Amino acid sequence: MSQLNYRTINIDQLDPESSVNFPMETLLPANLPAPETSSDAANVASQVRQLLRGGDTEGALRAALDTAPLGGDDRAKEVHMATVTEVLQGIRQADMTRVLESVCGGDGGAERADCLMKYIYKGMSSSGPSGGGQSPRNTISPQSTGGFSQIQARNVGEGGGGQQMSVLLNWHEKLVEVAGTGCIVRVMTDRRTV
Amino acid sequence: MATPQAHHLFHAPIADHSFSADRRTVAVARDNNVELYQSSGSKFTLSDELKGHEKTVTSVDIAPGSGRIVTCSQDRNAYVWEKTPTGWKPTLVLLRINRAATFVRWSPSEQKFAVGSGARVIAVCYFEEENDWWISKHLKKPIRSTITTLAWHPNSVLLAAGSTDSHARVFSSFIKGTDARPEPSAWGERLPFNTICGEFLNDSAGWIQGVSFSPSGDALAFTGHDSSVTVVYPSAPEQPPRAMLNISTRLLPLNSLIWNGENEIIAAGHDCEPYRFQGDENGWRLTGSLESKAGAGAGAAREESALNMFRQMDLKGQTTVNTKLKTTHQNTINTIRPYEEANGQVKSFSTSGVDGRVVIWTL
Repeated sequence: MSQLNYRTINIDQLDPESSVNFPMETLLPANLPAPETSSDAANVASQVRQLLRGGDTEGALRAALDTAPLGGDDRAKEVHMATVTEVLQGIRQADMTRVLESVCGGDGGAERADCLMKYIYKGMSSSGPSGGGQSPRNTISPQSTGGFSQIQARNVGEGGGGQQMSVLLNWHEKLVEVAGTGCIVRVMTDRRTV
Repeated sequence: MATPQAHHLFHAPIADHSFSADRRTVAVARDNNVELYQSSGSKFTLSDELKGHEKTVTSVDIAPGSGRIVTCSQDRNAYVWEKTPTGWKPTLVLLRINRAATFVRWSPSEQKFAVGSGARVIAVCYFEEENDWWISKHLKKPIRSTITTLAWHPNSVLLAAGSTDSHARVFSSFIKGTDARPEPSAWGERLPFNTICGEFLNDSAGWIQGVSFSPSGDALAFTGHDSSVTVVYPSAPEQPPRAMLNISTRLLPLNSLIWNGENEIIAAGHDCEPYRFQGDENGWRLTGSLESKAGAGAGAAREESALNMFRQMDLKGQTTVNTKLKTTHQNTINTIRPYEEANGQVKSFSTSGVDGRVVIWTL
């Protein structure tokens, strides 16, 4: 008995009424798309890459955002994240506003804007440059809670990570101009993580 | 649209406000007390204070018919205040909750009121003659988190609640002996206490901050921390809704909303100005702000004149000193309520917020 230190017991875990036992899955809407695997995401990636190679950057971004694996596993999400990063890096700064206005306009445009903002924040929170889409590194930390962890190391150095960060910051600025602050707020509330 | 009438009462946040039926008195929740302001001419002056709560008062509501005031606070209590010749007399309500009370509203019949709380229950309170006190019955299931907002259906039985578990729900709060049996509606036919008539979740989730039934009671609107407004049209009891429309905006989150007729919603929140939404079952859209920025905007332009800029640099050593917003409210709007309405059509409405202002807007 003397071995057991009652002061260190986390009583919240034992209390079914406690907020730490809040069922997070209740925040997911019923219309979540079917679970996807990393091979599905890889297929999408090759299609998107084809559009990108053909010079249709707008179509590539649209396709990448429409096929986001909201219900997928971590691996599928990682693969798709790399695809989106590749598309974002493949669009010239001068074209950003034009592409965004077209992708975030029309039917379903608001959802695409929200989705893109999720990828921008995920990109900024991940701890390594994701590089080419072919070999997404394992160092990308999966978005475990859907929130933004402040603890993760950030890329502030001179390396490739810093450059990726500046691309993402550029996109962030342009996207807020087009879609407003509401879209940032929804990244925080939405539990359909990317 | 006439210019809004702004009353800057004090430099402290107003958690909630409520006008009396004759619109000559306004009750505002300020810190641990509720202050009553009496209109005299074009101004409001402090006339009375309701002291009794030991922690921040979170909500206040004046019953238009009886003039009774109900208040609730983070000290887990609610009081019903009645005017006597010697002043306002509080009656304690037995809420039986172990967390803060967050929101209170009288039912349209004024026989009951509902108190939302952090204890994941809604206390529906009614008066018990024999013991001469207000007692409560708890709506519990399936609430998973704090109740942030409540709204009554015109029949005084159905109650809509928004919660930090991101769901907006419609409950029956039928109390035998107090309520008349309600007419069957799209929400339900038989409505024993704690019947769940609807449970709604947005795609983008977010804490629900404001709920409201349309004047007919046949539609529900809610807004939350995801900067969107959702309108639900129920079809039949136990059926999925006929339509659930989500308008996601590019604004900061909205805190409170009211209906103006069946085809218009006015909502306000962190952007410090009220916005108008219009639509019907086939679609809703944001039509714009109700603030006319001409006056304030002109002032801002003068602020930016070269002379003024150098003067500010000289005086204060800074280039931009314009901290005044172009909106009437200078901080987040917490509450929006109808001020003058007839048959569900709102002619004017009032807002209050963190900046200590109560503003009356004419449509």
